[in-house]
Amino acid sequence: MNSHSTTAKALDPVLLEILGNKFASVTEEMCLTLQRTGRTLYVKETADFVCALAGLDGRFFAYPRSIGVSGFVGLECMPTIEAAIANFGALEPGDVILTNDPYLSKGLSTHLPDLHMIEPYFHEGKIVAYGWCFVHSSDVGGRVASSISPTNTEIYQEGLRIPPLKLMKRGKMTLEVKLFLDLNSRTPEANMGDVRAMLASLTTGRRRIEQMLGQHGPDQMTAAQDELMAYAAGKAEAVLRQIPEGRYSFSDYLDDDATSRIPVRLSVAVEIKNGKVHLDFTGTDPQVAAAMNIPSCGRPHAWLTLRMLALVQTLDRSAPLNAGLLRPLTITAPKGSLVNPEEPAATGVRHAAAIRVNDILNGAFGLALPDVLPAAASGTVIPIVMSEPKPSGGRMVQVIEPLIGGTGGRKGHDGIDGRDSGISNLANNPVESVEAELGVEVLHYGLRPDSSGAGQWRGGCGMELSFRVLTDGSHILARGMERMLFRPWGQAGGFPGSPGSLVVNEGCPRERRLGKIDVLEVEAGDIVTFRTPGAGGWGDPMKRDPFAVLRDVQAGFVTVDFARRIYGVALVDGALDEEATQALRAGAMANDGTDFGPERNNWDGIFATGQMDRLNAALIAMPLSRRQGRRREIFETVLADLPSSFPRTPASGPHLEAAIKRLETCLSTIEIEPESRLNPNGETS
Amino acid sequence: MKDIPQKAAGRLRIGIDVGGTFTDFVMADAETGRVALFKEPSTPDDPSRAPIEGLKKLLAREEMGPADVAGLMHGTTIGLNAIIQRRGAKIGLIVTKGYRDVLEIARCRMSSSFDLHAEKEVPLVPRARVIEINARFDRDGNLTQRPDAAELDRVAAELAGLDLDAAALMLINGYGDPEAEGRIADELTARLKTLPISSAAMIWPEIREYERTLVACLNAYIQPMMSDYFDRLGKGLAQIGVTAPLLVTASNGGSLSAASAVARPVETILSGPASGVMAAVRQAAQSGMESIITFDMGGTSSDMAVATEGTAGIATRTDIGGLPLVLPVVDVNAIGAGGGSIVWADAQGVLKVGPHSAGAHPGPVSYGQGGAEPAVTDCFIACGFIDPDNFGGGTMPLDADAARAALEDVAARIGMQGKDCAARLAQGALAVASAGMAGSLFRTMAERGLDPRDFVLLPFGGAGPTHANLLAEEIGITRILVPQAAGAYCAMGAAGADLRRDFVRSLRYEVTPETAAMAEATFTALQADGDAWLDAELPDLAERRAERSADMRYAGQAFELRVTLDEGADATAYAEAFHREHERIYGFRDTTAPVEIGTIRLAMIGAGLPLAPSTATGDGAPVRATRDIFHKGEWHAARIYDRAALGQGAILPGPSVVEQPETTTVILPGWAATVDAQGNLIIERTKA
Repeated sequence: MNSHSTTAKALDPVLLEILGNKFASVTEEMCLTLQRTGRTLYVKETADFVCALAGLDGRFFAYPRSIGVSGFVGLECMPTIEAAIANFGALEPGDVILTNDPYLSKGLSTHLPDLHMIEPYFHEGKIVAYGWCFVHSSDVGGRVASSISPTNTEIYQEGLRIPPLKLMKRGKMTLEVKLFLDLNSRTPEANMGDVRAMLASLTTGRRRIEQMLGQHGPDQMTAAQDELMAYAAGKAEAVLRQIPEGRYSFSDYLDDDATSRIPVRLSVAVEIKNGKVHLDFTGTDPQVAAAMNIPSCGRPHAWLTLRMLALVQTLDRSAPLNAGLLRPLTITAPKGSLVNPEEPAATGVRHAAAIRVNDILNGAFGLALPDVLPAAASGTVIPIVMSEPKPSGGRMVQVIEPLIGGTGGRKGHDGIDGRDSGISNLANNPVESVEAELGVEVLHYGLRPDSSGAGQWRGGCGMELSFRVLTDGSHILARGMERMLFRPWGQAGGFPGSPGSLVVNEGCPRERRLGKIDVLEVEAGDIVTFRTPGAGGWGDPMKRDPFAVLRDVQAGFVTVDFARRIYGVALVDGALDEEATQALRAGAMANDGTDFGPERNNWDGIFATGQMDRLNAALIAMPLSRRQGRRREIFETVLADLPSSFPRTPASGPHLEAAIKRLETCLSTIEIEPESRLNPNGETS
Repeated sequence: MKDIPQKAAGRLRIGIDVGGTFTDFVMADAETGRVALFKEPSTPDDPSRAPIEGLKKLLAREEMGPADVAGLMHGTTIGLNAIIQRRGAKIGLIVTKGYRDVLEIARCRMSSSFDLHAEKEVPLVPRARVIEINARFDRDGNLTQRPDAAELDRVAAELAGLDLDAAALMLINGYGDPEAEGRIADELTARLKTLPISSAAMIWPEIREYERTLVACLNAYIQPMMSDYFDRLGKGLAQIGVTAPLLVTASNGGSLSAASAVARPVETILSGPASGVMAAVRQAAQSGMESIITFDMGGTSSDMAVATEGTAGIATRTDIGGLPLVLPVVDVNAIGAGGGSIVWADAQGVLKVGPHSAGAHPGPVSYGQGGAEPAVTDCFIACGFIDPDNFGGGTMPLDADAARAALEDVAARIGMQGKDCAARLAQGALAVASAGMAGSLFRTMAERGLDPRDFVLLPFGGAGPTHANLLAEEIGITRILVPQAAGAYCAMGAAGADLRRDFVRSLRYEVTPETAAMAEATFTALQADGDAWLDAELPDLAERRAERSADMRYAGQAFELRVTLDEGADATAYAEAFHREHERIYGFRDTTAPVEIGTIRLAMIGAGLPLAPSTATGDGAPVRATRDIFHKGEWHAARIYDRAALGQGAILPGPSVVEQPETTTVILPGWAATVDAQGNLIIERTKA
């Protein structure tokens, strides 16, 4: 860790504020330049890009607040810079480094479509800062169009790997690199358009830094980089000191790993002491043979620390946004686990796992600060894509809606219905634009009443999208479907939200209830209905203000029957019956603690926390080549004579006991296998 | 109510801007060229009182009668304030079945990605007052579900049960046939007698259901109060014998009749800031300057706008109290601190300015109204920029000692001590404010691909001219134009406003000779609507013109560019106009890709007679006094001038301060001002 003091004092506190504002504004200008000159959908509409300024240590000392991807403040540029120098020699003015490889960049890039660039900014022959930017490009080759598929098992299927290299040498593009890039993309022209926009943004940053050097001089500029980081670190420590010291553990599951029906576990212990925090991901499942691994390279990576950043920013809105916020943070991410996979694990859809990482950090911090953190958000982002045959031949592929849910309730406030900026803050598509371009008629795009987890402060509602298909031979794709099994949990006595679902032709004789889909083939006239989960509630529903329940009934979020059963609120002819409400509530049982819902409880009945920690400790100690197979074998053995609907339905008594016994047998076998003690257990930074 | 446009024989055009604290008046005399300013305290309990009272006093002061008034141009923030504070009418919303949550979902985005405690905006219509109707159009604008009489009866009965002041109607794809949606609104109104229903497609037939719903809801939300307001105002004017036509300024920088404003109040929401910018553009053009950045610094915040080639930028997406508005409006951006922004130190001892504001009440510490935390205005006093005894022309003396004491408290919290502590802290806070403003300004310019250093800064608003020179130094701008009426610029803009209304239709065609002809026919229809509108508003216009543009793209592209088009264009001209714009912004054209035309837009403009140019009012540059001002860590002896006493050609070397009742202009060391023929102060850098 750094030896900087926790408060910034060396630089004049007026100048510090001024330079902090100016640097942040330079990064926003870079972003605006990129957005204005970029070409693709990712840049223009979903804003899947960002620019920042890195100091001589490769960490971001300035980061935009109002534009671009918000979560990458914690990324590190230095491994990429060092790798480029090692292969191609010292950096010169006009050089720009390019990479997209998660492993060689040590997690700067986290999947191959993300192109990252770094330009050194010089003053009188010395580097004074680095400009950085990234864009999610349309396609970098690989097995499928757009390069991302959950069922990819190795990074080699995900497209062209670009090691850290010099795309620009002294201001000139390296032709060899350009030719390689062009040849390895399905959309070379669009990609090159975005590459040029990235270069333009780096140029904007360079010019503005030169202008600032004219005003403030190189010494003040470099001093300010350190001071701004120390200032942010001081803010973070001050927030951490508000949190009661201790060790807080939390675990949660992804429904499955997209290639089998075995759930994927994520686990964390948050240790808070003396203004510092340590995140220990031990107990998290081994990396999966699917594309949802998070390539953190064992570092306090952006994807693993986002919630901590949000917590600091929530409790101190004046904190500057830079990597200093992460100084008081250390991490343990076991090597070979989902959160620190070994090469060549696929990482294309790492954001699905990142959503769940957010949830477990939220849960763990929530144990420490129950009044500050909300219950679980809906925890799913599903871009629903339609591919329809064009009359002129070929297919038209377009997003209908990126479907999300709501946010969890928290003390004093209901969750937000139908919105969740937790992992990405994407805008939806106007239905009229969708209908103008695709053969669909949208029948319902709205909130899902009764889906939210009940609570003294209820969770946000999930959403429902129902549409009629107008063209034969259409396909529906929906990656990122989650929480169809394990519900968004409630907190402090709040109830979990309802799980998500997918139905075709609901209520018709041809009705089909489906789980996760890869490609769903549909015909004209079919009606497809997606429902996203509701978010978890906070606090005992029996304590909810009866008038808030009445308002929810009037708004149509809650039925009269639900109000009576769950909230103990009696309504007669649309008015509150206070006496009957009191009577209902007097007899009710109190609710407290975290409520994961019946599916998770059924699961934990066999795969309890302690057992899972033991299992993962043993698996992670095995050689990578054996881990996956052994894991599958164990789950198949334990689940052997349970109904296929488990854990949606509980296991009956004798079956349950037999399964528990089988798990214990497996554990004692694997724990004494010699190879399970070969590997060191993870790494710490 | 109904306007009776009359050809008035009078000589005066009077602009009136109703603000939160003051109602400003600008009177332009066509015979003498004289421009007179006047301020009357606003009357929030009945906002129509201040314009009448003030007008009476102004006419009396200027020895003019009601018959001398040729035109009244009026701007108001009543609608805007009602929206921001959610104090509008009780309204309901009728939507296509399946879209009850159109306002709840909005565009799905949260205002912050980092704040775990972020809340979403409060919808204008609570879910309990949203009613679904079995009616919708298909994507080609065919009414595929037509509500029968029973369905209309049911919806009308539900509406009646809600006890509403007004309602809005939005049917999916209604933009394709606005008249059909309008007829359904009429059928509901017929069943309900008194309930006004705003049809979204009739007001603004642009694709995108959420944004269009909002236009209709905003309209319904402020319509009852605006109607009531103009009723009272009309009666008040009649009482004092003013019969000149009353025009209302609009967010697009133009104006419309009071009757139009009552029918479509949503077009007037942002009229105040828009008028100020339009006045600035006209003023700068008189002095031969076409590229300007306006800087309006008021009590709670500062705004900027950009004009290039003598035309103010127009935005088709703005934010109003957290809600997006898609009507074309003069593109004004908030850029940071105002005079009331609080100066404070955080727990780490770092100096901060804003975002909290002391507002008008309690206001800065120096106002002596109970404000305990120092504000930016207090910094102006501590640095000697503002004379505390001569504030507001001496009508509102300020407490300089209290301001300095409060600033010294903040200085102690950041570890600053010693001589001139208050002034040094104040200077630091002004530098922080300037850096924040400059950052926002650079960002706004970067979005447009412009370099601010090529522009003239044109400040107005109470504090604009006081802070402008500091901001210009920070940005690297070398020229500032301070107009005479800088302190009442929204009223000034109102006085000179043209009539203007925007028309829109959403299409989706690939450009071919046939579709180009169809687009041209739609333009012609819109232009006919525009002409009819102008005829009804004011028949005697000096000039009328229509500006055409369209949102276009390459087929399959996810974003559109707004392209200016000429009348009578054919397919080749349409495509070429788009290729050229695409090339200008992205550096290339794709002649192999089909070009699509989407939403088409027509602005109908009716120009009145231009205001006579302003003139300098004094002679020479008499120095009234000297006062020390604090800048770059030192005190400098500054000459103090009265604005009204300055004559054309006067030269004011910095450091100088120019005082007038509405504002104070600061000229820093290293800069000098000259007074031009129009009486503007042109401040320029004298050394690098």
